[in-house]
Amino acid sequence: MNGAGVDSIEDRIRGYLAARLDAPDLVLGEVERIAVGWSHETWLFDAVWTDGDERRSRGFCLRRDPGNALLRDLSDLRTQYRVLRCLEPTAVPTPRAFFFEEDHAVLDGPFLVMEKVEGTCPSPWGSEGRVFYGDAARRGILPDSFTDTLVSLHNVDWRSAGLDFLGVPGTGDDFARREIDKWRHLVEASLLEPHPVLIDLICWLEVNAPTTERLTLVHGAYRTGNLLIHNDRVAAVLDWETQAIGDPMYDVAYVLSDLNREGTALLSNLVELDSFYRRYEAGTGIEIDDEVCRYYQLLYAMRSAAFWMSASGLFADGRSSDLRLARTAWSIPVVLDKAARQLGY
Amino acid sequence: MRPEDLLGRVAGELRRTVGPGVTEPFARTQAFMAAVILEKLGRQLRSADSHADADRTELRALLDELGSRLGDAPPSRTRTALAAADDGGGTVDTGLGGVIVALYADRVELGSQLFDDLLSRVRRVLRARLERELQYAS
Repeated sequence: MNGAGVDSIEDRIRGYLAARLDAPDLVLGEVERIAVGWSHETWLFDAVWTDGDERRSRGFCLRRDPGNALLRDLSDLRTQYRVLRCLEPTAVPTPRAFFFEEDHAVLDGPFLVMEKVEGTCPSPWGSEGRVFYGDAARRGILPDSFTDTLVSLHNVDWRSAGLDFLGVPGTGDDFARREIDKWRHLVEASLLEPHPVLIDLICWLEVNAPTTERLTLVHGAYRTGNLLIHNDRVAAVLDWETQAIGDPMYDVAYVLSDLNREGTALLSNLVELDSFYRRYEAGTGIEIDDEVCRYYQLLYAMRSAAFWMSASGLFADGRSSDLRLARTAWSIPVVLDKAARQLGY
Repeated sequence: MRPEDLLGRVAGELRRTVGPGVTEPFARTQAFMAAVILEKLGRQLRSADSHADADRTELRALLDELGSRLGDAPPSRTRTALAAADDGGGTVDTGLGGVIVALYADRVELGSQLFDDLLSRVRRVLRARLERELQYAS
């Protein structure tokens, strides 16, 4: 975005916050658009204003829907706002959500304003991230915090927290079937012809859907890179775009998946396998079911293929000009190759 | 110069000259990503004809074998899918996909042993197909 665009949106954000906080003298500083993920646009800034006789300051994070965000059909900013509000009184560390605005006249699209939480969020796939998480693994504090935070997430009393608006699966294999349908919808929305291996995978997932033993809040993408780290601890769980009420093994499978290991033996490039099993099972009282996790790892492969199809489809039909999305078309056979090997071919 | 070679040369220029000369981070990333895409596209184009031939030949052999294994009275969905894949009106992917969906839908009628055998035969085709794609995708 050019300089004029930055100024323009900065003024509009300032005007919005000044009105919401009843602070006409509100001033923004340290405004920064950060390049995280491929979905919503994210802005960080500090605000200073007068409240009565007091001078107040606070850091904010604003996420805006640009209208072509990946996964926007699955989870919009309103849902994210509601989830964050529900989680505020729980033990799960999350940014405090302040405002959700759906009036397009304000910033040309819906947006969410939340607390700027101190910390960093290195990508586990870059060399910088590998060093960051490798060092943290050796110190041994962050790995436990990673597991404990997942424990706190799965221990949330989701009914009391008001999270049943996410939809509560029925008994049996309903949760797995809901997830398959959700991601199949993304495949169909891409308007690309599905790869025959993906068709085999989806058929296999439908035939082998496991029964869910218990329901918890699940994040749906719990890994390093979606967690804000501060002082060797998880300061906030981010990216509330794929959450559901469902089988906790769904998150555990993602943690155990080699999708997020960068070739290391450490889960999410950070946690030793045995330590994760021990600490997770002790914290939740839930025994990890390896067979069910293997099933969900194949469901994640379907998700990845659907995600890449959605991404390359956005470029193909002109809704995005970001060449990173065009590049993802070649990621589809790569992820399907892994799935095929798990299916035995 | 063949189109695939031209794409390779353009990619090289993007990587060596254009990308390093761009200072704005997003535009710079786009330049390097364009190079990656053109290189992959070039490799895909180079093998496109031989891969398409292999796809068609393997689908033909698959349909013949499945037809032979199923005899005169295959389950209805599978029979329909085999006929649709055979008529040449759709793509290889459409034909293969239709056969896979039909086999799963008819799996009870087929019985587990025959279903497993037929699916295994289909998967041999899928594996060969993946191996060809990985030559330019990975």
